[in-house]
Amino acid sequence: MTGTSRLRRSLGAATAALALAALAACGSDHPNSTFLHWTEFGRDIDFLWDRLLGWGTAVFVLVEAVLVYTIIRFRAKPDGPTPVQTHGNTTLEITWTIVPAVILVFIAVPTVRTVFKTQAKAPDSALQVEVIGHQWWWEFKYPQYGITTANELYLPVGRTVNFALKTKDVLHSFWIPNLGGKRDLISNRTNYLWFTPDSIGAAAMNGQCAEYCGDSHANMKFKVFTVAPADFESWAAHQKRPAVFGVAPAAPATPAVPVKSAARGAVAAAPAPADTAPPVGYAFPADQIKPFWWPKTPLPAGLAEIPDAVLAQGDAARGKDTYSRSACIGCHTITGNPMSMGVIGPNLTHFGSRHTLAAGLFPNDAKHLAMWIKNSRMMKPGVLMNTQGMNEMDPMMHQKVTTGGLTDAQVADVVAYLRALK
Amino acid sequence: MTTMAAPAPATLPTTGEYKTGIWSWLTTVDHKRIGILYLVTALFFFVWGGLEAAIIRAQLAGPNMGLVTAQQYNQLFTMHGTTMVFLVIMPLSSAFFNFLIPLQIGARDVAFPRLNAFSYWVFLAGGIVVTLPILFGMAPDGGWFGYAPLTTKAYSSGYNIDYWVLGLQILGVASLAAAFNFITTIINMRAPGMVLMRMPVFTWMSFVVQFLVILAFPVITAALVFLLFDRFFGTNFYTVAAGADPLLWQHLFWVFGHPEVYILILPAFGLVSEVLPTFSRKPLFGYPVIVYSGILIGALGFGVWAHHMFSVGMGPIADSVFSVTTMLIAIPTGVKILNWVSTMWGGQIRFTTSMMFAIALVAMFTVGGISGIMHSSAPADLQQTDSYFVVAHFHYVLVGGAVLGIMAGVYYYFPKLTGRMLDETLGKWHFWTFVIGTNLTFFPMHMSGLYGMPRRIYTYDAGQGWEMYNLLSSIGVIFQAIGMTIFFVNFIRSWKKGAIAGNNPWGAPTLEWAIPSPVPDYNFAHIPVVTSRYPLWDQKAGDLVKSEAETTTGGRLKTAAELGIPMPFPTILPLVAAVFMTAMLCGLLFIHAGNLPLALGIMITCGLGLAFTLIKWLTSPLE
Amino acid sequence: MATAAIAESHSHGEVSHHRTSTGLNHRKVAVWAFIGSECMLFVSLISTYLIYKGRSVVGPYPHENWTDPATGKVFKEILNIPVTSASTFVLLMSSLAMVLALAAVQNKDKPMPTGWWDRQLRSSKLWLWMTALLGTTFLGFQAYEFTSFVHEGLTIRTNLFGSSFFTLTGFHGAHVTVGVLWLLALLGIDYKRGLKPADALNVDIAALYWHFVDVVWIAIFTLIYLIK
Repeated sequence: MTGTSRLRRSLGAATAALALAALAACGSDHPNSTFLHWTEFGRDIDFLWDRLLGWGTAVFVLVEAVLVYTIIRFRAKPDGPTPVQTHGNTTLEITWTIVPAVILVFIAVPTVRTVFKTQAKAPDSALQVEVIGHQWWWEFKYPQYGITTANELYLPVGRTVNFALKTKDVLHSFWIPNLGGKRDLISNRTNYLWFTPDSIGAAAMNGQCAEYCGDSHANMKFKVFTVAPADFESWAAHQKRPAVFGVAPAAPATPAVPVKSAARGAVAAAPAPADTAPPVGYAFPADQIKPFWWPKTPLPAGLAEIPDAVLAQGDAARGKDTYSRSACIGCHTITGNPMSMGVIGPNLTHFGSRHTLAAGLFPNDAKHLAMWIKNSRMMKPGVLMNTQGMNEMDPMMHQKVTTGGLTDAQVADVVAYLRALK
Repeated sequence: MTTMAAPAPATLPTTGEYKTGIWSWLTTVDHKRIGILYLVTALFFFVWGGLEAAIIRAQLAGPNMGLVTAQQYNQLFTMHGTTMVFLVIMPLSSAFFNFLIPLQIGARDVAFPRLNAFSYWVFLAGGIVVTLPILFGMAPDGGWFGYAPLTTKAYSSGYNIDYWVLGLQILGVASLAAAFNFITTIINMRAPGMVLMRMPVFTWMSFVVQFLVILAFPVITAALVFLLFDRFFGTNFYTVAAGADPLLWQHLFWVFGHPEVYILILPAFGLVSEVLPTFSRKPLFGYPVIVYSGILIGALGFGVWAHHMFSVGMGPIADSVFSVTTMLIAIPTGVKILNWVSTMWGGQIRFTTSMMFAIALVAMFTVGGISGIMHSSAPADLQQTDSYFVVAHFHYVLVGGAVLGIMAGVYYYFPKLTGRMLDETLGKWHFWTFVIGTNLTFFPMHMSGLYGMPRRIYTYDAGQGWEMYNLLSSIGVIFQAIGMTIFFVNFIRSWKKGAIAGNNPWGAPTLEWAIPSPVPDYNFAHIPVVTSRYPLWDQKAGDLVKSEAETTTGGRLKTAAELGIPMPFPTILPLVAAVFMTAMLCGLLFIHAGNLPLALGIMITCGLGLAFTLIKWLTSPLE
Repeated sequence: MATAAIAESHSHGEVSHHRTSTGLNHRKVAVWAFIGSECMLFVSLISTYLIYKGRSVVGPYPHENWTDPATGKVFKEILNIPVTSASTFVLLMSSLAMVLALAAVQNKDKPMPTGWWDRQLRSSKLWLWMTALLGTTFLGFQAYEFTSFVHEGLTIRTNLFGSSFFTLTGFHGAHVTVGVLWLLALLGIDYKRGLKPADALNVDIAALYWHFVDVVWIAIFTLIYLIK
């Protein structure tokens, strides 16, 4: 009968889909998979998931099989007799009350055990990371290291990390699917989440906000790097220093001014004993990052790009001056630039060492950064940072930026400055 | 014994008194007409909410699409959820409550016919308040569960959330008024012999639902009052700076929200419990157990709300308790599924469209139930909640459960409603396209969710392993849309020229099939005496209804007057009261606009109007 | 929904021409359901008050003094338990008067007793007036309490305590107001045509509501005022 073939077909489809899922989970086609075993947290959850999927599949197959058999076997036949008018069967009904209850015990016991295990207090030796959610970006603080950074998270392999989760505004949720479950950021509360990335080497993965938080909820992503402990220490040691300005190879080395800035950086770095340490600390090498990781967000239509030629003219020293006299400093901090002490936006001290910008929305290259500065509100809906480009239309204020707006040349300078902040 | 369908007459039976003008619909207090109003309104909103879903799926068909903006998308998903929950599934259930409960228990109307009309008009007004703003780009955009503090004025300064708060508050009034009415009707208006354990299962499930409504809705009323006061009067319930705890909203919302899930699903369970026995030609297997499990599901439903909050950090004790209570609900639900299968076992199954929808509910709700168990395990849920996996789960429950059950009910009861049959060929086409589309849309969402795709994102980047699943989901919507289009064609065509149905086209056992289709305004020419759970199978027809000679005259049904049955007068007062009440509440919007005198003026004027209408209502006779 | 349900229940609005399955009147069943629903509303409001207890970041507080760190101004503990005890007593007495009013209506067609006191007990007007007046007195106490709180610096916007306190007690006050209006409507009927034993059901339902509102106040008084 028709009903039968439909069920047979959907059953087949379900089985195929399950098989596909199982296959795909092992492959690399699903870079944000939740089935990985990279942390003990992830393994605990996956252990439960295996039981849930196993029992669930067994129950599904059993129920659907009985259903299919029933509707084939007992389809109406011409001149079929009036069926026996049974009203129930107490033994049967008690059985199928008790059997699910027993199955549930096999799920409930490990569930409760895992709840208490994963929510126990994190070990004291854990790396502490304070996560502060903002509409729509992430602030990360490492209190043991005195580091404040944004949107890119470095975690040492093999060390338990304990996240203290807070929010500056509305609710958010902190989720790195590869490393384990999510935990919400709740106003007036601090939540905790800990795990140990112990079964993974150096890797770059995605994190994202998982609680709807307004206009750009979809664009509130972050990037996670698991790195070797030594690399982490190198990264951290550098991050807590003021920006090393002008030393980085990417910065166009114009004489005079950068030397001054470099000197300032060097003075601040002086107390650090490691004179042999490279001037720029470890950063996750871009060439080891898989393609999926790089943001491919298209540029908004109607936003004119700044020509490469103009960008090439960008001068970091001029950019620093422009930056320090612009609205930027009201919201951003750059340690080492005494003018720039704002705390509303992301800390930009080592902005040049980051691979992405705008909370994982665009790659951090000159082109995207320039357009971001020019008209961030067209690049990311609802964003607090206002449009800076001269004569650009601010899509939230519905008016063109005139006074205080930056020309393309000035934007190019600021880009050069920010990219030099390694 | 009546085994097969009663023969159909050549023309529709009528009392010759049926009025069709607009005024007759605006003033009706007839539960059957109010049921039709609910049905048609809810189907209209179904199209509305479906179009919202279609735009959502078009936007997500591929990565980085730009069909709608972030703000538009956020309004669309908020309104899709709000519409489908409050303006589609609940009123579709209400359509059946209204139409069926009095017929199934052998009553001539509900206990308070005018209050019943009031409920409908308030529902319609609330629906307009909450849906209309999307046409002006000002639709609510806080998600259907509107988590504070995003919904407070500090983070949503526009009017969007105001419409949502006011609309939901108004809809709550409609649901509560209806619930008091149906509780009284079921408790007090059963025909002689219709003891509780002989009531049809649909009436039983409706009874449970009404209790869920009266106990759950006041909680969200309180939560919405706080939000309303915060937004209009500057109170601090959700003001973070004043030390407020955003979890207050979440707890209050879900104490309402979880019973709400059962408010949505239990009526569909009830409908399926009517359809399966009829088309298997067997009594429901384990009727008492089905009834008790319905009550148990309803009661346990109040003890599991925090399973929506496993990621908020409630601590291990609360997480464990709510995990276990949630798992417990699986037991009565599983019992229901197996009892339905056993009802079919040994029967003579007729694959009518209605029966196919009912069987599909059993098959698909099982999937939603199993993924529900997966959420109940708190640590596992941390990988699932707020991802597409949870979207897959609740669509299997609400589409694979509630909507399929309601569709089974629509095909089953359309003859009773209109006197005509829905076309079975179109029905089968509707069934296949819709069920295939539903699975194609929602099954891949399990995958995209488990592969890390969060819900409520207006776009996603390429290369995340989500493209194929999203494309499949979007293609599924096309099938669903085709299926629903076929349904609407069938619905409209058959209403006008479907085959004449007769009293009992399906050979069904319950009381509503003993009377003519469409049902005359007085329902029962004489109140039947019931001695069985399946009166039309077990009792002689003559015991239930009077002979044709006694109920007809000159080839038509006797009128209420000829039978000496007093009927309630039609009245416009419920509609007027609903309009005044809605306008009074909407006066608050002018406080947001900063025009306090105008707000007070509107509220006082409409308040007085409401008071005078109620006095008129109080003092005018019912019948 | 409250008013609509009451309105309908009050208007002989039910299909009442045949027996009911339980023997109970439709209106009575509906009002019981309504009261069940109202319980959940007040449970939510009271729970919110209790959840927010002690979480206000600024005063005034219900049970402790508070010094404003900015101005050094001292705000006294704001709840006035003696005054509220008096108003609670008044509301309790109103329930007693309500019971007597219902009894008076039910006994209307019995022969009038001779004793002065016994005759007073049979006056439905007297006891309905008494109930309404005691209810109004309670509302007067509440108005006094609200204005004095505002003078002492506590409004619905001040802090979490103010928001949850005024909302909870305000909702209760609104219920008492509805009850007083209901009693006045009954009095209107009594003066117009006299309440008969046949009207006892109407009075009974009003009484049910009145006692419910009274019981809610006992809960509020205990949980909000007495427990520190």
